[in-house]
Amino acid sequence: MPRALRHYTMFTIFVAPALLFFAVFTLLPMLGGAAYSFTNWNGLARTYSFIGIANYTEALRDPAFMQALLFTLKYVVLMVLLQNAIALGLALLIESRRRAKGAYRTVFFMPNLMSMIIGAFMWTFIFTKLLPELAEKASLPFLDQAWTSDPKISFFAIIIVSLWQGAGYMMIIYVAALQGVPQDMKEAARIDGANGWQMFRSITLPMITQALTICIFLTLNAAFNTFDVVYGLTGGGPGRKTEVVAMHIFQEAFNYNYRFGFANAKAMILFVIVLIFTLIQVKVMKRREIEA
Amino acid sequence: MNKKIPALLTLTLLGGALAACGSDNDTSGADAGGTGAAAKTVNLKVFVSLPRFKTQFESYFEQFKKKELADKNIKVNISLEMPSSDTADQILKSRMASGDSPDVFTLHAVNDIPSFYRAGYLTDLSDQPFVSELLDGVKSGVTYDDKILAVPLESVGWGMLYNKKIFRENNLKLPETVSEMKQLGDTLKAKNIQPFMIALKESWMAESFPTLAAGALNSSANQGFVERMDEGKASYAELNGLTDAMDMLREFGDKKVFELDGDQATAQFAEGNIAMWPAQGPWFAEAILKNDPSFELGVAAMPINDDPASTLLNLSTSTSIAVSPDSKVKEVALDLVNYMLDAKDSSAFYESLMFNPVAKSHTFTPYPWVADVTEYVKAGKAYDDPRIPSGVKNVSETLFQSYYAKDSSKEDVVKALDKAWADANALNKQ
Amino acid sequence: MIERSSAPRSVLSNLVLLVMAVFFALPVYMAVVNSFKSQKEIFHSVLSWPTSFSFKNYDYVIHNVDIVQSFFNSLIVTVVGLAGMLILGAMAGYKLSRTPGKLSGSVFFLFLASMMIPFNVIMITLTQLVKHLSLQGSTLGLGLIYIGMGLNMVVFFYHGFVKGIPRELEEAAKIDGAGEIYTFFRIILPLLKPITVTLAIINILWIWNDFLLPLLVLTDVKKYTLILTTNSFFGQYTKDWGSILASLVLTALPVVAFFVAFQRFILQGLADGALKG
Repeated sequence: MPRALRHYTMFTIFVAPALLFFAVFTLLPMLGGAAYSFTNWNGLARTYSFIGIANYTEALRDPAFMQALLFTLKYVVLMVLLQNAIALGLALLIESRRRAKGAYRTVFFMPNLMSMIIGAFMWTFIFTKLLPELAEKASLPFLDQAWTSDPKISFFAIIIVSLWQGAGYMMIIYVAALQGVPQDMKEAARIDGANGWQMFRSITLPMITQALTICIFLTLNAAFNTFDVVYGLTGGGPGRKTEVVAMHIFQEAFNYNYRFGFANAKAMILFVIVLIFTLIQVKVMKRREIEA
Repeated sequence: MNKKIPALLTLTLLGGALAACGSDNDTSGADAGGTGAAAKTVNLKVFVSLPRFKTQFESYFEQFKKKELADKNIKVNISLEMPSSDTADQILKSRMASGDSPDVFTLHAVNDIPSFYRAGYLTDLSDQPFVSELLDGVKSGVTYDDKILAVPLESVGWGMLYNKKIFRENNLKLPETVSEMKQLGDTLKAKNIQPFMIALKESWMAESFPTLAAGALNSSANQGFVERMDEGKASYAELNGLTDAMDMLREFGDKKVFELDGDQATAQFAEGNIAMWPAQGPWFAEAILKNDPSFELGVAAMPINDDPASTLLNLSTSTSIAVSPDSKVKEVALDLVNYMLDAKDSSAFYESLMFNPVAKSHTFTPYPWVADVTEYVKAGKAYDDPRIPSGVKNVSETLFQSYYAKDSSKEDVVKALDKAWADANALNKQ
Repeated sequence: MIERSSAPRSVLSNLVLLVMAVFFALPVYMAVVNSFKSQKEIFHSVLSWPTSFSFKNYDYVIHNVDIVQSFFNSLIVTVVGLAGMLILGAMAGYKLSRTPGKLSGSVFFLFLASMMIPFNVIMITLTQLVKHLSLQGSTLGLGLIYIGMGLNMVVFFYHGFVKGIPRELEEAAKIDGAGEIYTFFRIILPLLKPITVTLAIINILWIWNDFLLPLLVLTDVKKYTLILTTNSFFGQYTKDWGSILASLVLTALPVVAFFVAFQRFILQGLADGALKG
């Protein structure tokens, strides 16, 4: 008995303080948000009533919401693939160097140190002024596009700026993981006549699976909730052509008709989607880690 | 070696924290030593969405504090909050929704008053002394349900901006109809002058087109349109001229219109080779003059169809200041809003903000483009901005971007606007 | 053979790195250069070198905004938030990782699942709570909120990291008669240093540059954090970009200094085992 009691006391001492802060400032507001999703509250009126799942059924039939979801999904898939490929590529290139490693790491991480307000502003200039000028001077006509105003092309502009902002962060994690790969293993493989790709597949990759899991998890979350980049580059426009879900929810809550309850229902739908994606990802990666 | 850095950092951080605590104590120490022994202390929470005028507001509030101490022996502490206008809306609504409204706050007179008033967040100010000071032209903007609910700060007459120098040097006349506007555009183009600035990157810049059209028609061919929409008895389909101006302008714009935001457009317009900037107003005046102090800016009514009778100037009241009915220090809060139009001090204050005069005591010389506005008012060619629900305006933003890009047809637009208005009506009935 | 084939390859990899570096550095470089120009010059040609290097923007920012006060406000919020987050997060992450069973598992799942919540959803209810707890308007209170909001990610990372620490260490301490709390603070916590440094930089970046939450909680311009004071250069219709860039460059400086000073340490730490488990 006392041993079990002590076990629980210790568990409480270690976990309760964190759980308390977390419950008050994350869990409770989240439950509150969930509760509002079943009401017709407009976020301003002093009264509201419960309307069951009406918000949810309406959200699922809302074409603008579906369009935003689809657009976001496209964005997420590309980001997860490209961001991790580029970050890992950069990490490998940097780590294969002898000199200037630190300088390169700092340069690639730099965008993270600045607020996205600056990033979006500067990129807007690059897309609207620099690239068209470059297209003319270097006769590379494909660079002269309506980068931020034609939705087909601005999708890629959004991807480019997102990569610029996020790849350095992931790169740092990969660099750290790569430094953990023992040199002697590589040497041994090289002596055995393994080529670069073989070495990467059979030595490096298994050693960095955990980094891969974490990076994909982080990219997945960030990409589903992306807001700043799109807001700064296209504002979701023209029309609502480049609206991502997070932005759509924000507009529904604070613009249009302030349908706060409705916006929260949409947010809950987003939450469930991200949760499902993440759980699948963690499951799959866990299995791979064990195999590896 | 490495250990030194964290230690140093901790020390700096600690120092910072202590310094901050110290400064906190300092202010509270100063509080204790007031002037009069019996002075009552009141804490007032003020929310102003105009951070670019921080210094002006701070010093005006200092004057108010002195006056309040002298007149009523009340020592006022003001905690002043100044988020920028793109976030202010959201912050204010979140505060109100959590039952924590600031005592005195700014809001948009035309867009926000109806919903705030219905939710019970505005105090009736009709019997306050400042009311007798108000000029008639700005009264309607802050009046709703026959009550005066706010003190106007910014008021504006708008429709279209134009470059007076280009018009004078080329002997041009302001257009009265959309057809004339098109002809003028062709003439200017032949002279190698860009006729129109079309900038639609920021979606609100597209919204001003339908707002102007509905507003002008509401006061001319379609009298009472807004009222009938509120009753659910009308449709945008009846408006002849909802999209005429935009249709015409589309022939002059290129694919870059969605790349131009307010700042870039202002900088280009200020360079002086663009004749007109349709569906905009003198809120860009400050930025234009900053680029070129000698720019001759004019304000005119924008034609919305081929009926000259519908070419009217929109008179609107935007940022205004109101009092929360839940305020626990209402007396001081009311004193402050009255002081905003103080007969002695407010004239200099409004002048320093570069706002138009709104009170009888405002004697400063307004900007030249305000004279243009006065001409329209005198000629009876102006109307008060009607209260189109803000939900409808917000929907118009992206809708008219899509319309310009030909992603939405006119039928789509009419349908979406009618629906947004019906939604707004439904929400209001709750 | 190997030598010869690797020579052109290393030229290629150098070239790729160089091109990428330009791509990453260009916007940052532009931001710094343009902070020395007037608004008119920025919009006239954003790429050109300033005609005359002028400190006007910086001068204006420093004299019109109480930048020193804002710096200390940011510092308090960051230090309180970070310290609480790391200490509580390390304790919880460690214990959850070491305790098998349903209870522990579900608590961890709660932390994990909450990471995907969009901030806009909790915004209004959070404001209501902040009001009930009387934390409104206080930088200290804001720091406490950051603890509660950042813990999920911190717990997640510590939880994973602790798995890589052999249990033998605790067993040995136990045999020596050390209590669990003593063991944690004396033996485990030092081992967590690498991941702690990484979490520190990640969360400093977040808190230092966060915008909406401070705006919701702080109700007085005197308590505004650095990033909020930048806000004052955003007009309703136009933005004063010269001043915005200057103040954002100033805002970023402390973080850049922190990163440069700790860069080696951060990587070293991570490599020490953050990702080996």
